[in-house]
Amino acid sequence: MVVVQRKELTLAERLYLPEVLRGLSLTFRKFFEKPITRQYPEQPLPTDEVTRGQPRLVVKDDGNIACVSCGMCEVACPAYAITIDGGETDRGIEREPKRFEIDMLRCILCGFCEEACPKDAIFMSNELELADFTRAGLVYDLEKLKRPKSALQERIDYVYRLNNRWRSKQ
Amino acid sequence: MEAFLADVPEWILWVAKVALIFGGLIGTAALMSLAERKVSAWMQFRHGPNRVGPFGLLQPLADGIKFIFKEELIPEGANKFLFRLAPALAAIPSMMTIAVIPIGTIVVGEKKIPFSIAQLDLGIMYMLALGGLSVYGAILGGWASNSKYSLLGGLRASAQMISYELTLILSILVIVALSGSLDLGAIVTAQRENGLWNVFTPFGAVAFVLFTIASFAETNRHPFDFAECEPELVGGFHTEYSAMRFALFFLGEYCAMTVMACLNATLFFGGPSVPLWPEAPWFLGILAFLLKAGFFLFLFIWVRWTLPRFRFDQLMRLGWKVALPIALANVLVVGAWVAFTAKGS
Repeated sequence: MVVVQRKELTLAERLYLPEVLRGLSLTFRKFFEKPITRQYPEQPLPTDEVTRGQPRLVVKDDGNIACVSCGMCEVACPAYAITIDGGETDRGIEREPKRFEIDMLRCILCGFCEEACPKDAIFMSNELELADFTRAGLVYDLEKLKRPKSALQERIDYVYRLNNRWRSKQ
Repeated sequence: MEAFLADVPEWILWVAKVALIFGGLIGTAALMSLAERKVSAWMQFRHGPNRVGPFGLLQPLADGIKFIFKEELIPEGANKFLFRLAPALAAIPSMMTIAVIPIGTIVVGEKKIPFSIAQLDLGIMYMLALGGLSVYGAILGGWASNSKYSLLGGLRASAQMISYELTLILSILVIVALSGSLDLGAIVTAQRENGLWNVFTPFGAVAFVLFTIASFAETNRHPFDFAECEPELVGGFHTEYSAMRFALFFLGEYCAMTVMACLNATLFFGGPSVPLWPEAPWFLGILAFLLKAGFFLFLFIWVRWTLPRFRFDQLMRLGWKVALPIALANVLVVGAWVAFTAKGS
């Protein structure tokens, strides 16, 4: 059994007023301290390569997306947020998505799609802000998901560095 | 300008004074609602409201607009008449009490215009009578809402206000005995003539501490804000109120705080007298009064964000077993002292 020993209060403490003054002096000193609030829209959160934001599709330097619509990310997605309709293309890779949609309201930012992708086509960006007036507006299509490779380069390098730990050295 | 002011008819002066003082009071109340949030924010390393206008100064305006446009709900089973009456009863008496506070004297050339709405011989009685009325706002609002939280809040508010009113009156009585008048203007004059503010006299100091404590309880402020004790009673007596009626309760509370702060400055800190400079020009007197009252307004907020709330039985014990006996003893000693010395006769 836990027995809490009550502290015997001194006379000054029982009079209460000296303690009130002590408390007031404390809050008055804190009054002048610098606020630690982050003024969010003006001072956004710092992000770095580890930040796992919303997934984005890589647009290679030649202007084409890297995705071959294999559907691996669609399968990996635990929230069923990804919908892909594949189609043929005249490019050497023969297939590319005709429709690639991520429902950002379903996406849980887990990064499984990034892990699953065999073609380094989808990466977690550092974009975190998500707001719209309609639900439909938050289902992002190809055009909304495309990002130039340079914008995602930090993350791509990071993922490579991570994966290299398990790659056999031959 | 001076010649013009000296010639204006009396009634225009009255209207101007009433507009200035009531406008000032309501403006102060609005600013207090902002100051409350700002000061609490600064004490907790936050910024407080800073989106509406520069430094958030227009926040009260935004709040006001919001309050006016919000939907008004009257709960089922509520006594509609009393439900509508209660916010007015809470707000109006506390606004009316400002009338007798002497804020200073405006001197225009030869003319001396006392800067207060009324110079009543029974000024303090008037204040206490109207101050007592504001209990009705809380208890009627609580009772008419047909809600257990409101009822308990109203009951607590009335119990607390009635018990602390005794201490409040007794501590004012000490000052009345010392100055020999119920007129607030005369109390200020007495302090100025003595060259000593009441708070620096031994009896006055005791009365000051008691008065300050009682004024916190009277205005339902922390650490005695049982009437709206959020963790226990949701919102206390105004749980069921919404929109402008809700705002009226707050207006009443802040007006009551302002008046209490003014009264504290008047009774114990010489009102509009400037320390160590009896011949100070009149506008410095008004400034001094505003600064003194402003300090006590700040104290209200300061204490709120420092102390934890009392327990209700502790509040009652403090009121009846500690504050009241001390106040009574103080009155007895002062009475004896006044009676057996030449003072007061």
